Amino acid sequence: MTYSSSLAMSRSRYQGRNQNSVSFRVTARTLGPVSNTIVLIVLACLLGLLYLTQVTKTNAYGYQINALQQKQSQLKSEHADLEVASARLQSLARVQNSPVAKSLVSVAPSANVKN
Amino acid sequence: MAPSNKQELQKTVNRVRLWYGLLILVIGIFGLRLFELQIIQYQHYKTAALHDQLRQYEIPAERGAIEAHDGDSVLPMVLNQQLYTVYADPTYVKDVPATATKLIAITGGNQQHYEALLRTKNTRYVILAKKLPKDLAAKVRGLELRGVGTQAQNYRTYPQNSLAAQVLGFVNDDGVGTYGIEQALNKQLEGTPGQLKAITDVNGVPLAASKDNTNLAPVNGQNVILTIDLALQQQLEGVLADGVKHAKAEGASALIMDPNTGAIKAMANVPTYDPAKYADVTDPTVFQNGTVAHPIEVGSIMKTLTTSSALDQGVVKPDTTFFDPAHWLIDNFNVTDIEEDGGPGTRNLADILNLSLNTGATWELMQMGGGQINDKARNAWYDYMVNHFQLGKATGIEQGYEASGYVPKPADNGAGINLTYANTAFGQAMTATPIQMGAALSAVLNGGTYYQPHLVDQTVDASGKATSVKPKVMATHVVSPTVAQAMIPLMQYVVTHHNFSPGFDENTYTVGGKTGTAQIAKPGGGYYDDKFNGTYLGFVGGDKPQYVIVVFVHRPTVGGYAGTAAAQPIFGSLAHLLINDSYVSPKS
Repeated sequence: MTYSSSLAMSRSRYQGRNQNSVSFRVTARTLGPVSNTIVLIVLACLLGLLYLTQVTKTNAYGYQINALQQKQSQLKSEHADLEVASARLQSLARVQNSPVAKSLVSVAPSANVKN
Repeated sequence: MAPSNKQELQKTVNRVRLWYGLLILVIGIFGLRLFELQIIQYQHYKTAALHDQLRQYEIPAERGAIEAHDGDSVLPMVLNQQLYTVYADPTYVKDVPATATKLIAITGGNQQHYEALLRTKNTRYVILAKKLPKDLAAKVRGLELRGVGTQAQNYRTYPQNSLAAQVLGFVNDDGVGTYGIEQALNKQLEGTPGQLKAITDVNGVPLAASKDNTNLAPVNGQNVILTIDLALQQQLEGVLADGVKHAKAEGASALIMDPNTGAIKAMANVPTYDPAKYADVTDPTVFQNGTVAHPIEVGSIMKTLTTSSALDQGVVKPDTTFFDPAHWLIDNFNVTDIEEDGGPGTRNLADILNLSLNTGATWELMQMGGGQINDKARNAWYDYMVNHFQLGKATGIEQGYEASGYVPKPADNGAGINLTYANTAFGQAMTATPIQMGAALSAVLNGGTYYQPHLVDQTVDASGKATSVKPKVMATHVVSPTVAQAMIPLMQYVVTHHNFSPGFDENTYTVGGKTGTAQIAKPGGGYYDDKFNGTYLGFVGGDKPQYVIVVFVHRPTVGGYAGTAAAQPIFGSLAHLLINDSYVSPKS
């Protein structure tokens, strides 16, 4: 070992000691490529699951909407049937042929008879 | 490290590198293929997928209802009703007699006919019954017959039965309004269908989670409220049917309208039909509303318009008298009167209408030409017929197949145009419909305003917003108001001098009219000697005319003059019912 090399070694030793003594060294903690891939896959799966959950939930509303629309359509149909029945009951022909109308007595007009 | 270990390690590394390379290659191939499928051929596969998943439905709009007035209320005349069609797929029906027996126990019908339908070859769809009510359709479904099903369908239904059938028209199997209001207002009534485009599941239920879904709601058709008064309509139909029976006629048309607005209060034809069973009708002419679609030579009721025209031109006065020779020789043909008119003599305008003098109406036409039938007379009379009274063109009333009628051109055609025009003066050689004659007389009676005859009083859109239809003025100054003042007593004179039983109280009501007995043209030319149409044009009112009544009776065989024998009694009955049922406000 030459003098110069001996001096350099001793400097680097001091330097290392100084750094350690004040803990300035930052240790780089990084994930490896495998870990990164696994994390990405897990995240993608989670996102996929979330998407599927939402889609399924929304589609379930589709069935509810369909059921409600069928109910609405049925009620509309019943309403229309009742409207028709009501109109038939009020029809002039029915009123004219009703027992009440048949029991009415015709009164001959007299006010406008002349000539 | 020993050399052998080092070589072994190198081999392992090489193997790993090889597999790694292969893996990268496979992943690369997968990636490229996915790129091709998902990026390059994206549209193709998207279209193919949507073709299977996406369904498109048309949501039918509900057709508007047709209603009419009944006193202060409004009653429906046409509504929609869901009825059911029973169908079968014959390939699935094994026990045909048993299936038919079970079905006819619910639907009615003929066992053999059902069996024949259920045995039909080479078809997967036969219709067994139509228009089945909901409860019966449920019973059919309850049978759980293999190959038999029901299908709901909307139909028009008529709570007032056949009332005003020709005015209403019907909706054919294609859902298109045909004849009457249904045809004229088809666009308004049918509405706009909606559209549902959605990704569906295997059962066709739309899945909500698709950005490609579109749901366009239908816009239902407008409801239409007619100017028709249901009670009056009912009575008009009864009176008209009795009148046709009494006159032993082929048919008749009549209408009652408001001369001060053009609103039609009642409009009827005999024979009629049930619009709910239009498919059973064998003679399609019965679908026509004769009051707007069947023009005829109107006969002497035209003299009311000839006289109005002559008065308006100032060529005659209400008290003008003239010597009637009882015949005019025109274009080598004699225009004559009926024997009962008593031959030559001094006559006035009241006589022309009361005695129905053809020579009198011809004389009025002559006065328009300065004393003879010439270009001036023809042009003046043509102008009144077409431009003042709107004859020869459709009125525009909301009805399908409205006819225009016919008015001959006034130019000298070298074929006896003067004789033709003399004939038009008393309602021959021209044709018009009852609605045209009613609207023209209305214009005379109300002082000169021609209102377009109309049947629609209000429309109500899908949101419930009602829009009233205002009377539309087609022409003003048709005649001067003084003509109305002259014509009302002249037409009253006719009524008081004709035999109405019972008569009318002149002190309380104003009733006027004019009969017409019209010759019927033969298809090959000339006129029948033994066939006539009877017509009547009149009004009822108090201080002023409130209703105009038009009656056309086709080919009555009761004997006597058709106008007096067949049409006049119908007018009389209608005038009385308007008075007796308090439709008419008496004189103040």
